[in-house]
Amino acid sequence: MDERLRRLRAADRVSAPTIIKALLPTFVAQHGDRLLGDDSALIAGFGRTTQQQGLTVLGIDRGHDLTTRRQKNGGALTVAGYRTALRVIQHAEKFGLPVVSLINMPGADASPKSERYGQSQAIADMIAAMGQLTVPNMVVFLGEGHSGGALAFANANVVMMLDDSLFNVASPEAVAAILHGQQSVSEAIDLLPMTASELQQRGLVDDVIDHRQATLVDMLCQRIQDTVTELQKQSAIDLIAQREAKFKDFMDWWPQG
Amino acid sequence: MSHYPAAGTWTSCPACGRHVHQSQWGRWQQCPYCHYWQRLTANERLTQLVDPESFEALNSGMTTQDELHFPNYTEKLAQARATTGQAEAVTTGWARLANWPAMLIVMDSHFMMGTLNTTVTRKIIAALQQARQRQVPVIMVTASGGARMQEGLYALVGMNLILAEVARFSAAKLPLITVLTDPTMGGVSASFAFKGDIIVAEAGAKIGFAGARVIQQTMPTVLPAGFQSATSLLEQGQLDAVVARPQLRDYLVTILASYQQSGRPQHG
Repeated sequence: MDERLRRLRAADRVSAPTIIKALLPTFVAQHGDRLLGDDSALIAGFGRTTQQQGLTVLGIDRGHDLTTRRQKNGGALTVAGYRTALRVIQHAEKFGLPVVSLINMPGADASPKSERYGQSQAIADMIAAMGQLTVPNMVVFLGEGHSGGALAFANANVVMMLDDSLFNVASPEAVAAILHGQQSVSEAIDLLPMTASELQQRGLVDDVIDHRQATLVDMLCQRIQDTVTELQKQSAIDLIAQREAKFKDFMDWWPQG
Repeated sequence: MSHYPAAGTWTSCPACGRHVHQSQWGRWQQCPYCHYWQRLTANERLTQLVDPESFEALNSGMTTQDELHFPNYTEKLAQARATTGQAEAVTTGWARLANWPAMLIVMDSHFMMGTLNTTVTRKIIAALQQARQRQVPVIMVTASGGARMQEGLYALVGMNLILAEVARFSAAKLPLITVLTDPTMGGVSASFAFKGDIIVAEAGAKIGFAGARVIQQTMPTVLPAGFQSATSLLEQGQLDAVVARPQLRDYLVTILASYQQSGRPQHG
């Protein structure tokens, strides 16, 4: 596997559960979509930071060993996961809690079961609801996130990425596949803007964080709280408008033909 | 040599492989042997759905340049323009159906599999905005493999940008009718296709998030009969209706009349 991808998918990669534990000393987990089940790749809930800031978190975790990876489906979220996330952000809205997503996932689950229960509908609902959220939302890419399955969490006021993370329309493997093997997976990473630094230059990513620093977890917790505090100064209407403008400004770099 | 048939008079059916004469495909483009519905071009679709000469295209010249220099993209765009005669994978414009005014947004799978890119996104957003300003319902006919990979995240953000516009359209209490045709997959399926007030699929359409090939790559598995077919989605509660091509226009007219969005059909 490509060295960059191997790092993102390594068992010792900084994960959402680690950050949630540090960020929210008091944490109430929210499980299940009340109909289909519970997706163990999603860690959702709310709590208070050491500075008494109330937050909702949506963490997506790939698992750290073979057993947990299998349980968590490698971080590929199922319909139950998206529907749970939707329920949790509606709860966040009700109680005025900003939403922080922490993701490292290949994309949404691709399986007969997810198709049966409407994976498309679940993702569409989540992307739309995140866009119209009346409380601030932000996303941190801890590893990778691709396609509509990741966009459901990345449709946010602020996009933060660890410096070696990737965000793309499809996984580097899928990009290489459409070129019928003319390019390797490693080369595919450089064909499209998907690295943190490139996406920051292009205005989609607001903050890039060095993943090698010793105090990474503490530093991330601080950055998350500072960002949320800043976002909370905006009204609901401004938050919705700013979110859309952010993505529109990014797309407007591409000239209209 | 006038007694020679014109090129393309015979074509093989993509489903059963039998040779079918142009006249046998008939008005509705259905294979006489296996009853497969041929995928329609945007123009064919419009001809079947809207009142004759009522269609007034918007932004029909809007086209795409390869800004990221993705391998073979420029050639693919040129080829798609040449084979379809269209500038991009979506056609938008004003139309009337039995005199009911509507904004039509029609995707074309013949143009790079109807994939969503920056231009398609801009055309769809402009159409939704204009329909909202004129207080006219929107009929969106989807046919797409998803987001266009050659444009990377610039294509992906079309999903949330269109959904933001759909939210404004919805807040104006105007009906959005989505007609899912073959194929409606990936980023199109997982965004506006499933955000209609009424979601109808054309009979024979394949609709889903991940295609069978991608699912098999993830985990080899036996796919159920009728997997991702319009009829199975209806049984599963994912759609309002499945309508066969010859009945689609009448069905849409009934919906427009039932919403009575503009009071009465416009005459003249």
